[in-house]
Amino acid sequence: MEIKLLSQDKTQVRVVVKGTTPAEMNTYRRTVLTTLPAMAIDTVEFVENSSALYDEMLAHRLGLVVLKTDTESYFEKAKCKCKGAGCARCTLELTLEVEGPGIVYAEQLKSKDPAVIPVHGKTPLVKLLDNQKVKLIAHAILSTGQEHIKFSPGLLYYQGYPQIKVGAVKNPEAIAEMCPTNVFEADSKKLTVKNKEACILCMACVDASKGDVEVSGSATDFILTIEPWGQLTPGQMVDGCVDALHEQIDALSEEIKKLK
Amino acid sequence: MIIPIRCASCGKPIAQLWGDYQRRTAQGESAKTVMDELGLVRYCCRAQFMGHVDLIDEIAKFKKG
Ligand SMILES: [Zn+2]
Ligand SMILES: [Zn+2]
Repeated sequence: MEIKLLSQDKTQVRVVVKGTTPAEMNTYRRTVLTTLPAMAIDTVEFVENSSALYDEMLAHRLGLVVLKTDTESYFEKAKCKCKGAGCARCTLELTLEVEGPGIVYAEQLKSKDPAVIPVHGKTPLVKLLDNQKVKLIAHAILSTGQEHIKFSPGLLYYQGYPQIKVGAVKNPEAIAEMCPTNVFEADSKKLTVKNKEACILCMACVDASKGDVEVSGSATDFILTIEPWGQLTPGQMVDGCVDALHEQIDALSEEIKKLK
Repeated sequence: MIIPIRCASCGKPIAQLWGDYQRRTAQGESAKTVMDELGLVRYCCRAQFMGHVDLIDEIAKFKKG
């Protein structure tokens, strides 16, 4: 397997992975989605809520708020010493007490642990009118996407590496113009591929050229995109994914040994 | 009612971008430019913004039943 970094910015990391299979890529995708632990609000106790949103709606919105996760100092409830009862090593308390009028933002949540706070402080939770009030205690826990997608730290997805063949094209400028990701460069006679890795295999050029341009995605080489929501860094996501896979494979081989 | 915290389809957190989007489109910028610059690439996330109407100001005047 050969790996090359394609691009890296605040929102995503793109990597070219060569010499593998779709099955392996899909394993990584599913592992990141379901087995990496991240923190999110799980239960909310309402003291007062005279806002327009029902308790359930506000609790749901709070649950989806992205929290910076510290995987070193927190444990999943089932694996914690307290055996699921809830203690400082597995549960974090956040409080919110606001009065209207105005928009209530996620940054107004008071966390007992300064390391675990909302990633996007300007997330509007609810809007209050004069005399409306919200007072609540929320409990955040560490869990995985298997329990609820709010615990998922982000997306990892892939596409086949684009293979583009340009034949005798009649209208190169029109085709270059049509491509939504500007893959081509064209003059009045010739169409050339300028930025192959931007291709999203949308096939607009294939349709427009009536088959003179051929596009397909490789089944052995892939472009992998890691898009974190903010709980973990892309590096932590890949490390966690590999660790979780090793753990699963070890467990499987243990079970197979028992069969002999 | 109020902008969803995350895109219902892909799960990307989007609510924190709504204030900017609302202010800039009100000033006359096109929705396309604003969404491109805010990093809303997928059409699922863009649909959340384009289809949203802030009704909470109206609804908040009435009592919850
Ligand atoms: Zn505990
Ligand atoms: Zn989306």
